[in-house]
Amino acid sequence: MATNPMHQFEVYRIGPEIKLGEVDLSFTNASLFMVISLITILLIFNLGSKKNSLIPNKIQLLAELSYGFVSKMISDTAGSKAKPYFSFIFSLFMFVLFLNMFGMVPYSFTVTSHIIVTFVLATFIFVGVTIIGFIKHGAGYLKLFVPSGVPIVLLPLIVLIEIISYLSRPISLSVRLFANMMAGHTMMKVFGGFVISLGIVGGWLPLSFSVALTGLEILVAFLQAYVFAILTCIYLNDALNLHH
Amino acid sequence: MKEDQFKNRLEIAKKKQLKKKLYKDDQPISSVGIAFKMSTELVAHVVVGTIIGFILDKTFDSKPWLILIFFFLGVISGIANVFRSAKSMQK
Repeated sequence: MATNPMHQFEVYRIGPEIKLGEVDLSFTNASLFMVISLITILLIFNLGSKKNSLIPNKIQLLAELSYGFVSKMISDTAGSKAKPYFSFIFSLFMFVLFLNMFGMVPYSFTVTSHIIVTFVLATFIFVGVTIIGFIKHGAGYLKLFVPSGVPIVLLPLIVLIEIISYLSRPISLSVRLFANMMAGHTMMKVFGGFVISLGIVGGWLPLSFSVALTGLEILVAFLQAYVFAILTCIYLNDALNLHH
Repeated sequence: MKEDQFKNRLEIAKKKQLKKKLYKDDQPISSVGIAFKMSTELVAHVVVGTIIGFILDKTFDSKPWLILIFFFLGVISGIANVFRSAKSMQK
Protein backbone atom coordinates (compact mmCIF):
# COMPACT_ATOMS: atom_id res chain seq x y z
CA MET A 1 0.00 0.00 0.00
CA ALA A 2 2.79 2.41 0.84
CA THR A 3 4.34 2.00 -2.61
CA ASN A 4 1.15 3.04 -4.36
CA PRO A 5 1.98 6.48 -5.80
CA MET A 6 -1.64 7.61 -5.50
CA HIS A 7 -1.82 6.75 -1.80
CA GLN A 8 -0.53 10.19 -0.83
CA PHE A 9 -3.62 11.89 -2.24
CA GLU A 10 -6.10 10.04 -0.06
CA VAL A 11 -8.33 12.20 2.11
CA TYR A 12 -9.17 10.69 5.49
CA ARG A 13 -11.04 11.87 8.52
CA ILE A 14 -9.30 13.19 11.61
CA GLY A 15 -11.31 13.17 14.79
CA PRO A 16 -15.08 12.69 15.09
CA GLU A 17 -17.55 12.49 12.26
CA ILE A 18 -19.64 15.64 11.82
CA LYS A 19 -22.73 15.42 9.65
CA LEU A 20 -25.02 18.27 8.70
CA GLY A 21 -27.95 16.55 7.11
CA GLU A 22 -26.52 14.79 4.06
CA VAL A 23 -23.33 16.87 3.97
CA ASP A 24 -20.19 15.44 5.54
CA LEU A 25 -18.42 18.25 7.40
CA SER A 26 -15.78 16.14 9.19
CA PHE A 27 -12.33 17.54 9.80
CA THR A 28 -9.98 15.83 7.32
CA ASN A 29 -6.25 15.93 6.65
CA ALA A 30 -6.99 18.41 3.83
CA SER A 31 -8.65 20.77 6.29
CA LEU A 32 -5.76 20.26 8.69
CA PHE A 33 -3.21 21.43 6.13
CA MET A 34 -5.37 24.38 5.14
CA VAL A 35 -5.52 25.41 8.80
CA ILE A 36 -1.76 24.91 9.22
CA SER A 37 -0.92 27.11 6.24
CA LEU A 38 -3.46 29.71 7.32
CA ILE A 39 -1.93 29.91 10.80
CA THR A 40 1.59 30.10 9.35
CA ILE A 41 0.61 32.97 7.06
CA LEU A 42 -1.08 34.83 9.90
CA LEU A 43 1.91 34.29 12.20
CA ILE A 44 4.46 35.46 9.63
CA PHE A 45 2.56 38.60 8.74
CA ASN A 46 1.63 39.43 12.31
CA LEU A 47 5.19 39.07 13.54
CA GLY A 48 6.51 40.74 10.41
CA SER A 49 4.40 43.86 10.79
CA LYS A 50 4.58 44.15 14.56
CA LYS A 51 7.92 45.82 15.19
CA ASN A 52 8.18 47.90 12.04
CA SER A 53 11.83 48.79 12.57
CA LEU A 54 13.92 50.70 10.04
CA ILE A 55 16.40 47.85 9.71
CA PRO A 56 14.14 44.85 9.21
CA ASN A 57 14.75 41.48 10.80
CA LYS A 58 14.22 38.33 8.74
CA ILE A 59 10.49 37.92 9.26
CA GLN A 60 9.80 41.58 8.58
CA LEU A 61 11.94 41.35 5.44
CA LEU A 62 9.95 38.33 4.28
CA ALA A 63 6.65 40.10 4.84
CA GLU A 64 7.80 43.30 3.14
CA LEU A 65 9.33 41.50 0.16
CA SER A 66 6.21 39.45 -0.48
CA TYR A 67 4.07 42.58 -0.15
CA GLY A 68 6.26 44.38 -2.68
CA PHE A 69 6.27 41.40 -5.03
CA VAL A 70 2.49 41.10 -5.20
CA SER A 71 1.97 44.85 -5.32
CA LYS A 72 4.34 45.14 -8.29
CA MET A 73 2.68 42.21 -10.01
CA ILE A 74 -0.75 43.85 -9.71
CA SER A 75 0.36 47.27 -10.90
CA ASP A 76 2.23 45.72 -13.85
CA THR A 77 -0.61 43.58 -15.11
CA ALA A 78 -3.85 45.25 -14.01
CA GLY A 79 -2.85 48.89 -13.54
CA SER A 80 -3.63 51.30 -10.71
CA LYS A 81 -7.38 50.62 -10.86
CA ALA A 82 -6.81 47.17 -9.39
CA LYS A 83 -5.33 48.52 -6.15
CA PRO A 84 -8.54 47.98 -4.13
CA TYR A 85 -8.34 44.26 -4.90
CA PHE A 86 -4.82 43.95 -3.56
CA SER A 87 -5.85 42.23 -0.34
CA PHE A 88 -7.79 39.55 -2.19
CA ILE A 89 -5.00 38.75 -4.65
CA PHE A 90 -2.38 38.85 -1.93
CA SER A 91 -4.22 36.40 0.30
CA LEU A 92 -4.97 34.18 -2.68
CA PHE A 93 -1.32 34.09 -3.72
CA MET A 94 -0.10 33.44 -0.18
CA PHE A 95 -2.68 30.73 0.44
CA VAL A 96 -1.88 28.82 -2.74
CA LEU A 97 1.85 29.28 -2.26
CA PHE A 98 1.78 27.96 1.30
CA LEU A 99 -0.45 25.02 0.40
CA ASN A 100 1.95 24.10 -2.40
CA MET A 101 5.01 24.55 -0.22
CA PHE A 102 3.61 22.55 2.70
CA GLY A 103 2.92 19.81 0.20
CA MET A 104 6.66 19.59 -0.40
CA VAL A 105 7.32 18.53 3.20
CA PRO A 106 7.66 14.74 3.39
CA TYR A 107 4.62 12.86 4.80
CA SER A 108 2.47 15.94 4.36
CA PHE A 109 -0.62 16.35 2.24
CA THR A 110 -0.92 18.61 -0.81
CA VAL A 111 -4.32 20.24 -0.70
CA THR A 112 -3.94 21.83 -4.16
CA SER A 113 -3.53 18.39 -5.76
CA HIS A 114 -7.30 17.93 -5.51
CA ILE A 115 -9.23 19.44 -8.36
CA ILE A 116 -12.24 20.33 -6.24
CA VAL A 117 -10.11 22.71 -4.13
CA THR A 118 -8.57 24.50 -7.10
CA PHE A 119 -11.87 24.51 -8.97
CA VAL A 120 -13.66 26.21 -6.09
CA LEU A 121 -10.92 28.85 -5.91
CA ALA A 122 -11.10 29.41 -9.67
CA THR A 123 -14.90 29.55 -9.65
CA PHE A 124 -14.86 32.20 -6.93
CA ILE A 125 -12.46 34.27 -9.03
CA PHE A 126 -14.51 33.76 -12.19
CA VAL A 127 -17.82 34.72 -10.59
CA GLY A 128 -16.25 37.62 -8.71
CA VAL A 129 -14.56 39.05 -11.80
CA THR A 130 -17.77 38.74 -13.82
CA ILE A 131 -19.73 40.56 -11.11
CA ILE A 132 -17.08 43.30 -10.92
CA GLY A 133 -17.20 43.67 -14.70
CA PHE A 134 -20.98 44.08 -14.71
CA ILE A 135 -20.89 46.54 -11.80
CA LYS A 136 -18.25 48.71 -13.47
CA HIS A 137 -19.58 48.67 -17.02
CA GLY A 138 -23.20 47.55 -16.76
CA ALA A 139 -24.44 45.78 -19.85
CA GLY A 140 -21.46 47.24 -21.71
CA TYR A 141 -19.40 44.42 -20.23
CA LEU A 142 -20.94 42.17 -22.88
CA LYS A 143 -18.81 44.07 -25.41
CA LEU A 144 -16.04 41.75 -24.24
CA PHE A 145 -17.60 39.10 -26.46
CA VAL A 146 -17.79 41.34 -29.52
CA PRO A 147 -14.35 42.29 -30.79
CA SER A 148 -14.29 45.43 -32.92
CA GLY A 149 -13.61 45.30 -36.65
CA VAL A 150 -15.28 41.98 -37.35
CA PRO A 151 -17.52 41.63 -40.44
CA ILE A 152 -21.20 41.10 -39.65
CA VAL A 153 -21.26 37.71 -41.38
CA LEU A 154 -18.66 36.28 -39.04
CA LEU A 155 -20.05 37.89 -35.90
CA PRO A 156 -22.20 34.99 -34.57
CA LEU A 157 -19.29 32.60 -34.94
CA ILE A 158 -16.85 34.96 -33.24
CA VAL A 159 -19.24 35.62 -30.37
CA LEU A 160 -19.67 31.88 -29.80
CA ILE A 161 -15.92 31.41 -29.82
CA GLU A 162 -15.43 34.29 -27.39
CA ILE A 163 -18.05 32.87 -25.04
CA ILE A 164 -16.32 29.49 -25.08
CA SER A 165 -13.02 31.17 -24.41
CA TYR A 166 -14.53 33.14 -21.50
CA LEU A 167 -16.12 30.06 -19.95
CA SER A 168 -12.90 28.09 -20.23
CA ARG A 169 -11.14 30.44 -17.81
CA PRO A 170 -12.04 28.71 -14.53
CA ILE A 171 -11.33 25.29 -16.03
CA SER A 172 -7.90 26.17 -17.36
CA LEU A 173 -7.07 28.02 -14.14
CA SER A 174 -8.01 25.11 -11.89
CA VAL A 175 -6.74 22.26 -14.08
CA ARG A 176 -3.33 23.90 -14.44
CA LEU A 177 -2.67 24.10 -10.71
CA PHE A 178 -4.18 20.70 -9.93
CA ALA A 179 -2.43 18.84 -12.77
CA ASN A 180 0.98 20.30 -12.04
CA MET A 181 0.82 19.52 -8.35
CA MET A 182 -0.56 16.03 -8.78
CA ALA A 183 1.75 15.02 -11.64
CA GLY A 184 4.83 16.28 -9.80
CA HIS A 185 4.01 14.51 -6.55
CA THR A 186 3.13 11.26 -8.30
CA MET A 187 6.39 11.36 -10.23
CA MET A 188 8.38 11.94 -7.06
CA LYS A 189 6.70 9.00 -5.38
CA VAL A 190 7.33 6.76 -8.40
CA PHE A 191 11.03 7.60 -8.44
CA GLY A 192 11.15 7.09 -4.70
CA GLY A 193 9.69 3.62 -5.25
CA PHE A 194 12.40 2.88 -7.83
CA VAL A 195 15.08 3.65 -5.26
CA ILE A 196 13.68 0.99 -2.93
CA SER A 197 13.09 -1.67 -5.57
CA LEU A 198 16.50 -1.29 -7.28
CA GLY A 199 18.32 -1.45 -3.96
CA ILE A 200 21.83 -0.31 -3.16
CA VAL A 201 23.24 -1.34 -6.56
CA GLY A 202 21.03 0.45 -9.04
CA GLY A 203 19.17 2.82 -6.77
CA TRP A 204 21.58 5.72 -7.11
CA LEU A 205 20.29 6.89 -10.47
CA PRO A 206 16.65 7.29 -9.41
CA LEU A 207 17.85 8.78 -6.13
CA SER A 208 19.72 11.54 -7.94
CA PHE A 209 16.66 12.00 -10.14
CA SER A 210 14.54 12.36 -7.02
CA VAL A 211 16.81 15.08 -5.68
CA ALA A 212 16.63 16.99 -8.94
CA LEU A 213 12.85 16.52 -9.06
CA THR A 214 12.49 17.94 -5.57
CA GLY A 215 14.20 21.13 -6.73
CA LEU A 216 11.99 21.25 -9.80
CA GLU A 217 8.88 20.70 -7.71
CA ILE A 218 9.74 23.58 -5.39
CA LEU A 219 10.10 25.77 -8.48
CA VAL A 220 6.76 24.51 -9.83
CA ALA A 221 5.08 25.07 -6.46
CA PHE A 222 6.13 28.71 -6.49
CA LEU A 223 5.49 29.18 -10.18
CA GLN A 224 1.96 27.78 -10.09
CA ALA A 225 1.00 30.08 -7.23
CA TYR A 226 2.48 32.96 -9.22
CA VAL A 227 0.66 31.98 -12.41
CA PHE A 228 -2.59 31.56 -10.49
CA ALA A 229 -2.29 35.05 -9.03
CA ILE A 230 -1.11 36.72 -12.23
CA LEU A 231 -3.96 35.23 -14.25
CA THR A 232 -6.39 36.53 -11.65
CA CYS A 233 -4.82 39.94 -12.23
CA ILE A 234 -5.21 39.58 -16.00
CA TYR A 235 -8.88 38.61 -15.70
CA LEU A 236 -9.41 41.52 -13.31
CA ASN A 237 -7.71 43.80 -15.82
CA ASP A 238 -10.18 42.65 -18.50
CA ALA A 239 -13.07 43.45 -16.17
CA LEU A 240 -11.76 46.85 -15.04
CA ASN A 241 -10.28 48.28 -18.23
CA LEU A 242 -12.57 47.12 -20.98
CA HIS A 243 -10.83 47.50 -24.31
CA HIS A 244 -10.83 45.52 -27.49
CA MET B 1 19.20 75.31 -26.26
CA LYS B 2 21.79 73.18 -24.58
CA GLU B 3 19.51 72.49 -21.68
CA ASP B 4 16.85 71.28 -24.09
CA GLN B 5 19.24 68.88 -25.71
CA PHE B 6 20.31 67.57 -22.36
CA LYS B 7 16.73 67.05 -21.27
CA ASN B 8 16.03 65.18 -24.48
CA ARG B 9 18.97 62.89 -24.00
CA LEU B 10 18.07 62.29 -20.38
CA GLU B 11 14.57 61.31 -21.43
CA ILE B 12 15.89 58.82 -23.98
CA ALA B 13 18.35 57.35 -21.50
CA LYS B 14 15.62 56.96 -18.89
CA LYS B 15 13.39 55.17 -21.36
CA LYS B 16 16.20 52.81 -22.30
CA GLN B 17 16.87 52.03 -18.67
CA LEU B 18 13.21 51.32 -18.02
CA LYS B 19 13.00 48.96 -20.98
CA LYS B 20 16.08 47.07 -19.86
CA LYS B 21 14.77 46.73 -16.35
CA LEU B 22 11.37 45.49 -17.45
CA TYR B 23 12.98 42.97 -19.73
CA LYS B 24 15.29 41.69 -17.04
CA ASP B 25 12.67 41.46 -14.32
CA ASP B 26 9.88 39.91 -16.29
CA GLN B 27 11.47 37.62 -18.79
CA PRO B 28 12.57 34.37 -17.16
CA ILE B 29 9.71 33.68 -14.78
CA SER B 30 6.78 34.86 -16.85
CA SER B 31 7.84 32.97 -19.98
CA VAL B 32 7.63 29.69 -18.09
CA GLY B 33 4.28 30.91 -16.81
CA ILE B 34 3.11 31.61 -20.35
CA ALA B 35 4.16 28.12 -21.42
CA PHE B 36 2.01 26.60 -18.66
CA LYS B 37 -0.83 28.99 -19.49
CA MET B 38 -0.95 28.20 -23.21
CA SER B 39 -0.75 24.43 -22.87
CA THR B 40 -3.64 24.16 -20.44
CA GLU B 41 -5.78 26.76 -22.18
CA LEU B 42 -5.66 24.90 -25.47
CA VAL B 43 -7.11 21.83 -23.74
CA ALA B 44 -9.58 23.77 -21.60
CA HIS B 45 -11.19 25.47 -24.58
CA VAL B 46 -11.82 22.12 -26.29
CA VAL B 47 -13.24 20.66 -23.07
CA VAL B 48 -15.56 23.60 -22.47
CA GLY B 49 -16.77 23.53 -26.08
CA THR B 50 -17.56 19.84 -25.80
CA ILE B 51 -19.36 20.28 -22.48
CA ILE B 52 -21.53 23.08 -23.90
CA GLY B 53 -22.35 20.91 -26.90
CA PHE B 54 -23.23 17.98 -24.64
CA ILE B 55 -25.57 20.09 -22.50
CA LEU B 56 -27.26 21.68 -25.52
CA ASP B 57 -27.67 18.25 -27.11
CA LYS B 58 -29.44 17.01 -24.00
CA THR B 59 -31.82 19.96 -23.85
CA PHE B 60 -32.67 20.02 -27.56
CA ASP B 61 -32.51 16.24 -28.00
CA SER B 62 -30.40 16.48 -31.16
CA LYS B 63 -27.92 13.85 -30.14
CA PRO B 64 -24.73 13.93 -32.18
CA TRP B 65 -24.88 17.26 -34.02
CA LEU B 66 -24.43 20.04 -31.50
CA ILE B 67 -21.66 18.21 -29.64
CA LEU B 68 -19.79 17.88 -32.94
CA ILE B 69 -20.25 21.54 -33.84
CA PHE B 70 -19.26 22.79 -30.42
CA PHE B 71 -16.27 20.46 -30.24
CA PHE B 72 -14.87 22.04 -33.39
CA LEU B 73 -15.80 25.52 -32.14
CA GLY B 74 -13.78 24.73 -29.01
CA VAL B 75 -10.82 23.64 -31.13
CA ILE B 76 -11.03 26.84 -33.19
CA SER B 77 -11.28 28.97 -30.07
CA GLY B 78 -8.34 27.19 -28.45
CA ILE B 79 -6.09 27.66 -31.46
CA ALA B 80 -7.20 31.27 -31.89
CA ASN B 81 -6.37 31.86 -28.24
CA VAL B 82 -2.85 30.47 -28.67
CA PHE B 83 -2.34 32.74 -31.67
CA ARG B 84 -3.60 35.71 -29.65
CA SER B 85 -1.23 35.02 -26.74
CA ALA B 86 1.68 34.54 -29.13
CA LYS B 87 0.88 37.87 -30.78
CA SER B 88 0.69 39.71 -27.47
CA MET B 89 3.99 38.11 -26.44
CA GLN B 90 5.76 39.56 -29.47
CA LYS B 91 4.82 43.13 -28.57
